[in-house]
Parts: sequence; C-alpha cells; structure tokens
Amino acid sequence: MKRSVKSSRRGQTIVAYVLAALVMMYVSYSVPRWLPGDFVTAMYASSHVTLNAEQEADLRAYYTQHQGFGAYLLDFFTLNWGYSYAFLTPISELISEALPWTLLLLGTAHLLSMFFGFLAGVEAAWRRGGVVEKTGVGSMTVLEGVPEIGSAVILLLIFALHLGWLPAAGGETAYVKQSAGQYALDVTRHLALPLVTLFLAYFPGNFLLTRGSMVMVLKEQFIETARAKGLPSLRIRYAHAARNALLPMVTRFGLRIAFMVTGALVVETIYAYPGLGTLLFNAIAMRDLPLIQGIVLFSSLMVLFVNLALEFIYGWIDPRVKHAS
Amino acid sequence: MHLNVRRALTNDPWFVTGAALALLLGFLVVAGPWLAMHDPHDMSFRPLSSPSSEHWLGINDGGMDIFSELLHGIRNTVVFGLLTGMTALVVGVLIGLVCAWFGGVTDHVLMRLSDILLAIPAVMILILVAAFFRPSPLVLSLILAGLSWPTTAKAIRAQALVVKQSVHVRAARQMGASGAYIIGRHLMPELFPLYLIGFAAKARMAMFMEASLSFLGLFDPSRKSLGMMISYALKYYYLDIWWNWLIPPILCLTLLIMAVTFLAVSLEKLFDPRLKEAL
Repeated sequence: MKRSVKSSRRGQTIVAYVLAALVMMYVSYSVPRWLPGDFVTAMYASSHVTLNAEQEADLRAYYTQHQGFGAYLLDFFTLNWGYSYAFLTPISELISEALPWTLLLLGTAHLLSMFFGFLAGVEAAWRRGGVVEKTGVGSMTVLEGVPEIGSAVILLLIFALHLGWLPAAGGETAYVKQSAGQYALDVTRHLALPLVTLFLAYFPGNFLLTRGSMVMVLKEQFIETARAKGLPSLRIRYAHAARNALLPMVTRFGLRIAFMVTGALVVETIYAYPGLGTLLFNAIAMRDLPLIQGIVLFSSLMVLFVNLALEFIYGWIDPRVKHAS
Repeated sequence: MHLNVRRALTNDPWFVTGAALALLLGFLVVAGPWLAMHDPHDMSFRPLSSPSSEHWLGINDGGMDIFSELLHGIRNTVVFGLLTGMTALVVGVLIGLVCAWFGGVTDHVLMRLSDILLAIPAVMILILVAAFFRPSPLVLSLILAGLSWPTTAKAIRAQALVVKQSVHVRAARQMGASGAYIIGRHLMPELFPLYLIGFAAKARMAMFMEASLSFLGLFDPSRKSLGMMISYALKYYYLDIWWNWLIPPILCLTLLIMAVTFLAVSLEKLFDPRLKEAL
C-alpha cells in the first residue's frame, strides 16, 4: 500500500516535469508565430541594430516558415537551433561555448553554499539560544534581503575598482600564453567575484532552512533516545539529526530556483562573465530573437532537469521514502 | 487571539524594522511625484553634472535629474510588486479554496496543473514574452502572477482541508450552514494569516524580478525603474559619479527588498504553525 502511494507520487512528479518541458518547448515554438504581420520591420526599424537586406529576408523567412511542432522538436533534438543574427554563428555553437562557464560558476556556487550553509545551520541549531547563533540568524536574515544586483555592484566597486585586487570582467585573460597552472589561477581570479556574490545570495537561504528544520528534528524522540544511550554529540548531530534536516533544503530548492536563475543572470551580466546569462543579455541588447529563444529554451530545460534530479536525490536521502520503495 | 498577535508583531524586531522601512518607502512612493522637483524625462540639463541644491543627486548622462528618476523608479518597482503579489494571491486563494471544497476531479486537475507551473522557471517565460512582444509592465505583471499562484494555492488548499474537518465547521454544517456561508464565514477569515505570508513572498519575488528584468533591458526604456538606472550608471562605474548615481538606486532597491523580506520572515515565523517552534 505504502509502496504504491510513494511510487505514484514519484510518477506524478516525473509526468509534471515532462509536461512542463513540453509546455516550454511549445511556448518557444509558438511565441514567434503569434507575432503580428511584419514584425521584423517593426522591431528592427525602431532599434539601433541594422540588418542588411539578405539578413532581413532570412529572418523573415525563419519566422514565417510553416513548420509543424513535430519538425520543430526534431530540429531541437538534433541541435539544429538556428542562426544568430548578431554573432553570425550557429546558436548551438554559442550556447556550447557559454555553457561550461555557467556550469562552473553556478555549480561551484551551489555546492559551496549548500555545504557550508548546511554545516553552519546544523551547528547553529545545536547551539540554539547562544550569542553566536543569534547574531548568525540575524545577519543571515539581513543578507537574505540584499538582492544580487546590490551586492554584485558593491563588490565590483570595492574589489575590482577601488582596491584593484581582482579583474572586473570576463572569465579569463584573453590573448595571453599561459601554462596550465597560470591558466587555472587566472580562471579562479576571474571566478572569485561572481562566485562570492552568488555564494552570499545562496548561503543565507540554505543556512536558515537547515537551522529551522534542525531545530525541529532535535526535538524528536529519537534524538532523546540517542542522548539517553550516551552517544557522542557529534554522532547524534550528524548521523541522527542532520540527515533529516537536509530534506527541506532539497525540497525548497525547486521553489527558490526562480530567484536563483534571475540572480545568476544579473550577476553574470554585471561581471561580464562569459556564460549563458551574459550571452542572453547581449542577445536582448541586440534584439537577436532566435538566440534569445534558444537560450531561454535551453536553460529552462536545464532547470527542469536539475529539479528532477533533486527529486531523485530527495528519495535517496529520505529514509522514509527509501524504506517504502 | 488578535491582541496576542498584535503584541507578538510589535515585539518582533524584524517586523518593526520591516514595517518602518516599508512606511518610509511607502511615503516615497505616494509622495514621489510631488517630491520630485523635475520631470524625470526632461533631458534639458547639463549631462553628468554633480549634485547641487537644484539637483540633489546630480544629472545623468542623458541630461535627466537623477533624484526625480529615482523617485519614479521606486514607484514603478513597488507598484509592479504589489500588483503581481495581489493578483497571484487572489488567484491562488480562489484555486486553493475551490480544490479544497470540491475535491475530486477538479482538485486533481488543478493540482497537477500547479505542479507543472511550479516546475516551469517563470523568469524564462517573462524574458521570452518581453523580448518578442515588448508588452506593457501590466501585462508582464499579470503573466508573472499567472505563473506564480501555485505555491499559495497549495498552502491554502492544505490548510483549508484542515479547517474543513475541524469541529466548529462540522458543527456549523450540522446546523445547516450552506457551502457559501462556511467558505465566507469560516474558511476565508481563518486562512487570513496565509494570505499575508503568500502576499509578502510573492511581492518580494515580483519586485526582485522587476528590478532584474529592467536591469537586463526588457522593459520599455522610457519607463523609469531602479534596475534600468543601475544598468545605465554601471556603464560609467569608473567615473567619479558612482556615489551619486549608482549607489542611490542600489540602496533603495536593497532597502525595499529588505523591508519585504523582514516582513515576510516575521509573518511566516508568527503564523506558520510548523515554524513557530523553530524560529
């Protein structure tokens, strides 16, 4: 009985994600087709971007072709995503160039903020009521209220402009011959500011969530039992309690993702980090519609994939789900 | 009960700080057009001049008064946030109540729909629509609300199911109360705390989104907003004008998001029964 409930819940989630992916693809397919009449002229006449006659004809042909949704999907899965008018490059190529940078930045930021947020949250809950815990919760709540735009610009002004310790833009120093070690250092130096900004944005949420759920878990009876057995406190904290306190961080991740994606876009743009966010910003500035479409669809599917993966990790962490299946 | 809530709120430093900040910013929003000494679209001043008694924060690169721009920008961000929060709340409450009350197929269909919407990253849809159609902020706000009601609907539905089974509601039904009476008299008022939590969370998200999207250049450039001011000022960050042009919108935006965050945290702490113990 219990098994069927759990597995049907899992099934529902997967179906919801697949449907969400289809919705995203369908929206991406149909948005250009809802545009009124001669939108190419209307849109580019009022902007500083100029197209030559051939480009204009191409773009118009691209958006007025009578392609079915099936053909569109086929194109999408064969990486045939169209052609960027601003960069004069296939979109799949632009995205695959930008993707590693975004993965490096966001992956590191999430891993670090989850790991340290979790540790700090567990320790804070254990020391509940102390001065350290109170200041921790207070300062993290304040930090939770600072948008990435603000922290990114302030860090940029202090560390790149005023002190000059770190580069203000880019992901690597261009046109320089470097050994592998120098290159790694160079990439790290460029990564530092955007990474710190995102860490400051993600850490407070992870900390506060973990602390909140850990405080609840520590009140449970099995913790009392563990204490009564005389187990060392480190073992109670991590082997017994923390595992249960990990769950909300995973379940709430999906809800916080709207904030995170938006914030990451802004941070990449401010530091001109060569990832998908900056590519999207440039595409918007140059009104490169096929490129905007490509990045939006690709990154939405990436978000869906990460969320789905977390759903499985959740099942793996939660002992109740594990026993049930 | 209500007296206790009021005392608990006024005793909570987060609520007091958040409310004070919100009042201050609310004053700027309401009185903005009268406080601004110039039309924010007037481009007749000497570009990049320093602050003076005439122009408190100086002039930007386009010859516009920065202080007036700032006041209009705050106003636009706040209005966008409140409108989105309100719309998402109304839709979420209605759908949550409908699901809890009718159950069955209606409930099932709407909940699956909300699962799908929860999975879709709303910001991506907004970017796509904004880039292709250049719609008015009102339309974007409604789209954002249309994508973000599910969390509220789920919370309302869950709590409404609890209230529906509670003794006093069963008693009311026993005495012959109609469905409309129970929804209007019991369910809706008793779920009131959830409205506040949902509204604060949604308004916070919407203000953050508005600032970010206008920073990315997805709104009409003639519409003043904090994000757009930051993005323009950032182009001149190496000049000595960052403190009067770049910092003010950043400060305002940060205080705004902080105010809403503090209020949201405080309300959630007070009204969410599960969190009551934890915080």
